[in-house]
Amino acid sequence: MMLLSLTPWIPAGLDLRMFAPELALIATIVAVLVVPLVLGRSGRTAAFISLIGALATFLLTWRAVAGQVVERGYAGLSPDPQATMLVADNFSVFFKLFLSAFLALIIGLWLLRPANGRGAAGVHGGSAGPEFFVLLLSSALGMALMVGTLNLLVMVIAIEMASLPSYALVGSDKRSRPGAEASLKYVLFGAATSSIMVYGLSLIYGAFGTLDIAGIAGKLAGQSVSLGWVPAIGFFALCVGIAFKISAVPFHFWCPDVFEGAPIEVTTWLSVASKAAGLGLLLRIVYALSTAVGGAAWLTPFAWGIGLVAAVTCTVGNLAALRQDSVKRMLAYSSIAHAGYMMMAAAIFTQAGQGQFMSIGLAAVIAYLMVYFVMNLGAFGVTALVSWRTGTDHISAFTGLGRRAPALALPMAVCLFSLIGLPPLGGFAAKWWLLLALGKAAIAAQPWLWGLVIVAVINTAISLYYYVRVIRQMYLCEDERQSAVPAPLGGVVLVNVCAVALLLLGTLLIDKLGNYSTYYASNLLVTQPTAPATATVEPSAEPVVMAPVNESK
Amino acid sequence: MLTIGLTHYLILAAFMFCCGLYVMTIKRNAVGILIGVELILNAASLNLVAFSRYKTGLLDGQIVALFVIVLAAAEAAIAIAIFVNYYNNLATIDVDRGDSLNG
Repeated sequence: MMLLSLTPWIPAGLDLRMFAPELALIATIVAVLVVPLVLGRSGRTAAFISLIGALATFLLTWRAVAGQVVERGYAGLSPDPQATMLVADNFSVFFKLFLSAFLALIIGLWLLRPANGRGAAGVHGGSAGPEFFVLLLSSALGMALMVGTLNLLVMVIAIEMASLPSYALVGSDKRSRPGAEASLKYVLFGAATSSIMVYGLSLIYGAFGTLDIAGIAGKLAGQSVSLGWVPAIGFFALCVGIAFKISAVPFHFWCPDVFEGAPIEVTTWLSVASKAAGLGLLLRIVYALSTAVGGAAWLTPFAWGIGLVAAVTCTVGNLAALRQDSVKRMLAYSSIAHAGYMMMAAAIFTQAGQGQFMSIGLAAVIAYLMVYFVMNLGAFGVTALVSWRTGTDHISAFTGLGRRAPALALPMAVCLFSLIGLPPLGGFAAKWWLLLALGKAAIAAQPWLWGLVIVAVINTAISLYYYVRVIRQMYLCEDERQSAVPAPLGGVVLVNVCAVALLLLGTLLIDKLGNYSTYYASNLLVTQPTAPATATVEPSAEPVVMAPVNESK
Repeated sequence: MLTIGLTHYLILAAFMFCCGLYVMTIKRNAVGILIGVELILNAASLNLVAFSRYKTGLLDGQIVALFVIVLAAAEAAIAIAIFVNYYNNLATIDVDRGDSLNG
């Protein structure tokens, strides 16, 4: 960081263009705050403005930035060209597309909420004020920044920017007692872990004299034997903060309570977007460090640690999901388990000269995230539609849904089968690639990764039980007292589109999914912002990379 | 005569960190936990300023410390708003009383 130079630093216009999506999100936040002053406070107006903003962000990323990233190679924004602060590479472009598409769908889900469901007694009261959307958009901005940076300070600020609005979102229904309790637990856990993370940041700064990951990696490249005490504690403390975002064991306690107490749109948002951003951050740090250091001895315990946490996370998530009667809570534990599966890819560390395994792992996680996006949206969407109508998300509300609302039960079943990972659905393809990536790395370099493959397979078998339990309740249990479940047309269309998309992702679009994920995992910015393909870019064994001509979702 | 150096600051910061961790684990009052969090954040700020003064000689550590102060303020603002909301619903800020979601 060149903070002592006296001439002010002004970024070039072309560089700023690369960050048009973030700027669009900021503009939307301002618009949502200002427009109610003119048009009057209305949740629906704010929702439509945010929807337009989210779609604009998506289009800007897709049309303006994605092409530029390919054309110009890397782009980084910082006063010092050697130490990039904001990054626009394929990986961050993917996350911006992912987040803005999901943001638009979440706002869509909010718009579908029936008027009598808003503020009704119980768990499902929502907030109708424009503040809800300000908070939602700013957490989206924080998540987009989390994945798009190579500076630890910006990472911490981005994590806080994503977390602070989320705390408030969880408690956005002020009359809801579970909501108040959930937000209290969330804010206390979040504040505690983030303070530890900031302390770790200060130790890392002391040990390396810089907060830039490229700079840290450069200094680490000389140390192949041991890491030293202070940076080790620093990295550990940093991982605490990231583990909280991913809800990895043992920092997962907040997750089920928060997911149960929050309004269901917020639950859906946090279960996918927040975890995806945390995983992206973890993968970027791991990738940058292991590429620069390449097979140092001290990386092995680090990789073991991540692998162990991933294995424990998905086991604990699955075992705890077994005894849940609330479908929302069951899906919360299932999201912990899925975060565990995805975290396994972060345990693939490059040995010297084997960067391609890391790329395959990244591609597998990106494919998994795309599929997870669709199946979680579908499952939470059906749960939302059922619970808005019946007033509860207890599993008994799903009894006989196959007869009462076939248009909801079928997509729910498809999404749950996909969450298990059964062919021919998208969930199978995603899990298969993940295991394949682990297996390839296990054969080549790290035999202990087979352990993770075994854990993942056993966990899939465990998860079968609780997902199928819901399906059984929907199709095999009959309860004559319960009436039909009418649902808004938009909601029915949304969940059915999710189900069809899952079917396509597992069959016809499977090649496309593979190509896109390989593409977005390529050309990760690691050290030099302006240099073209450095040693880190390895053509992987996957099919040929294609330009993103259309969107795969 | 004793000259105060980097080590002294680091030990003080580590002590503050441990105090913060202790307060966070022992307190059942939400405001108490928040005070523990603030202690840890201040320990981090002290570390940053000390490292910046004695080790790197650059200003960036001190600027990071400014960011940490702002983060602490933002976090406290959100946290206290949530405490008030919790108090309105449960008439207490004892975290153990919130047991309707059994986690």
